[in-house]
Amino acid sequence: MSMAKAEKSVTRSAPLTETSFIGWLHKNLFSSWVNAILTFVSLYIIFVVIKSLWIWGVAEAVWVAENRRECFAISKDGACWAGVIIWLENIFYGRYPRDELWRVNLGGLLLILWMAPLWLPRVKDKIFIGLSTVFLYPFLAGYLFAGGDKGIFMQLMVTGAIVCLVGNTVHACIGVFSGGGLPESLLGILGRKDASDANQRNTLLAVLAIAFVLIYALQIGWTVEAVPWTKWGGMFLTLVISGIGITSALPGGIILALGRRSKLPVIRVLSTSFIELFRSVPLITVLFMATTMFPLFMPEGFVLNKLVQVIIAVCLFSACYMAETVRAGLQAIPKGQYEAAHTIGLGYWGMMGLIVMPQALKHMIPNIVGSFIGLLKDTTLVSIIGLFDILGMLRSISQDAPWRGLHKEPLIFGAVLFFIVCFIMSKYSRHLEVKLSAGANR
Amino acid sequence: MAIRNSGEASARVKPKEKFDFFHDERVRSVFYQILTACVVGWLAWYLITNTAHNLEVRGMNTGFGFLSATAGFDTDFKLIEYKPGIGTYGRIFLIGCINTLLVSFLAIIASTILGFVVGVLRLSSNWLVARLSLTYVEVVRNTPLLLQIIFWYVGVFALLPRVKNSLDLSVGAELVFLNNRGLYSAWPIPGDLFWMTSVAFVAAVIGVFILRGWAHKRQDRTGQQFPIFSASVALLVVLPGAIYLLTGSPLDWDLPTLQGFNFAGGASLPPAFLALLIALTFYHAAHLAESVRAGILSVSKGQTEAALAIGLKPSRAMSLIIIPQAMRAIVPPMISLWMNVVKNSSLAIAIGYSDVVALFMQTALNQAGYAVEMVGMTMAFYMFISLSISGLLNIYNKRVQLVER
Repeated sequence: MSMAKAEKSVTRSAPLTETSFIGWLHKNLFSSWVNAILTFVSLYIIFVVIKSLWIWGVAEAVWVAENRRECFAISKDGACWAGVIIWLENIFYGRYPRDELWRVNLGGLLLILWMAPLWLPRVKDKIFIGLSTVFLYPFLAGYLFAGGDKGIFMQLMVTGAIVCLVGNTVHACIGVFSGGGLPESLLGILGRKDASDANQRNTLLAVLAIAFVLIYALQIGWTVEAVPWTKWGGMFLTLVISGIGITSALPGGIILALGRRSKLPVIRVLSTSFIELFRSVPLITVLFMATTMFPLFMPEGFVLNKLVQVIIAVCLFSACYMAETVRAGLQAIPKGQYEAAHTIGLGYWGMMGLIVMPQALKHMIPNIVGSFIGLLKDTTLVSIIGLFDILGMLRSISQDAPWRGLHKEPLIFGAVLFFIVCFIMSKYSRHLEVKLSAGANR
Repeated sequence: MAIRNSGEASARVKPKEKFDFFHDERVRSVFYQILTACVVGWLAWYLITNTAHNLEVRGMNTGFGFLSATAGFDTDFKLIEYKPGIGTYGRIFLIGCINTLLVSFLAIIASTILGFVVGVLRLSSNWLVARLSLTYVEVVRNTPLLLQIIFWYVGVFALLPRVKNSLDLSVGAELVFLNNRGLYSAWPIPGDLFWMTSVAFVAAVIGVFILRGWAHKRQDRTGQQFPIFSASVALLVVLPGAIYLLTGSPLDWDLPTLQGFNFAGGASLPPAFLALLIALTFYHAAHLAESVRAGILSVSKGQTEAALAIGLKPSRAMSLIIIPQAMRAIVPPMISLWMNVVKNSSLAIAIGYSDVVALFMQTALNQAGYAVEMVGMTMAFYMFISLSISGLLNIYNKRVQLVER
């Protein structure tokens, strides 16, 4: 190769129009006179909005007051945040007994503790952790929130949940610090590392049984006061309803989507009509149907409370929407994948469970997160049929005697709250999208 | 075994496959279908018998006879004649459906226009404009629609001035008033000869179509272009306008006038309607804006470059090359968004606008108590609308597919 050509060309800095601030301004804001006008109009809009929001919401706002009249006395053109601040606990927990709030908080903390390993590197068996969250956590949390006497079923479920939680947490800690897992460490401690597979399995099962019995004995004495569902409310209730809706939407949606794509005509027709029925009517009519018609559906003397009716309605509704999301994912899987799965001798469930569904779900993660956000927002509809979810609580501030007529501030507070949660979730889903498609874009 | 005998096996005729009853695919598929049908059938039977039994025990009325019974309650917003004590429940259902369709129709038009504008602004080369529209989209999309509707109602329309101090939106002409009781506007009353103006307008529309056809043909033949747009606008304005003036302006205006505590005359819209319309418009426009943006971005850059390379003006490139292709990606989500507008208009119940859910499924149900029939009819109404709209979508998809290679 000619050495002369390899000589470095003179390095020139980028032109000023690309690097300097003025250059940026010229390119992005004032490239033509139309753009310049648009810029000034936008600047004016931003100025007016921010200025009035600042004056109303911060500068002139009243933060501490006894009632709305006092707010007016202090400042006439400012927001009266005092009402929202006094109601803050109600907005978050509804009428949950104030001495028992720790249970709600503990329930939330346990969920975080349970799910945290899913995001930690080097932790193995994430599928098991995820599944145990879906199937066992609801029982533990359900007992924490509702309280009262545990039946034998609840005793077993709560025990199982606690065993799982402890096991998961230890497993995750071992995973993060040493890269191993709980089973191996246990076998190491017990000196059974070199035993046969069957032997090892029996040892682990024995440890599990001992732990189960131990925790069962411990939890018998642990009861918490019963809190009727009518006292649940606020953001807590919103999260409970949407949480249950979200966790049941995925399995329900997968079954319905498989049914809709099934080769068996009866199953296909049934799934399709079920999905289309719920997708073509508004959620509010489904909720009304739940509250007016479910009591008629049940055998005489069997009464479902309103919360359960609403949760069933939300689950059916969200499963049908999820089914369409999953179906779109299934359609995106190339036919070769199905054929390859058949070729290596997998049956229908093997093909779907091992080959097709994992890919389809991975494809659809952003959309799934999107429908979760949608469900979280839609859950506010339960306030229309008389449950005091977060919106119901925000609305009832204006009915409270000292704060009568205080409409705007609570609603804006709620909007900000929803915005923060939903915005973070949607940004996270976009991040996931990029991360998951990294492999495909190599 | 198979390997050892392979030589023999190939020589022999392939043995008839043994029919394994339990592992045969066809038998299994029939079995699973029968099983599903039985389970679903049993469930349906169980629910129906329970319902029938419960209805009987509670002494609730059944059947659709109530539709011709008179309803004793009034509604504040109706487009067709109805009087409490004379009108029937069937009429109430009709009023509800019309009210739902009216607000949805207006919201669909307004949100489609706003959505396209914001979607294009999102792609503006002006950094500030793009950011501003992004902020609007994110804020509106990440807060619940119900909260927005209630906010518009109690936070904006309920705080408007009282009737006495109404805002005059027509700047002093006293044609359109806005106050906390709603919007009051002048309403035209056509005179005797007004039909001639209408006929002229229809004729102008037909004329525009003929003109377009002629202009296209001429361009195909000679390459000469014809200013279709300005000619059409001129035709549409001049012809009906001339007839209108020639027949002596046969249009009277029913003006809203302050009488006692409220306005009389003209047309009026209640604040709940306005709040619902505005909230639906802003919410769905934000969603549509994202679809529009994605649709425009989905047209590859090569298309623009190719269009410019064959000598089209940028505006022609946009209207002839980019937009038709972008529409293919925009229209399907847009139509399902229209469906959402119709469904979401049911949130009217939260602010007391008499749509089909509030009027029929709540008020009428509380009054008459035909739970199964009324819930069924309301759901059937929404299903009918959704099926019609998705039929529209299918027709469009078929047409677009034909254009594709």
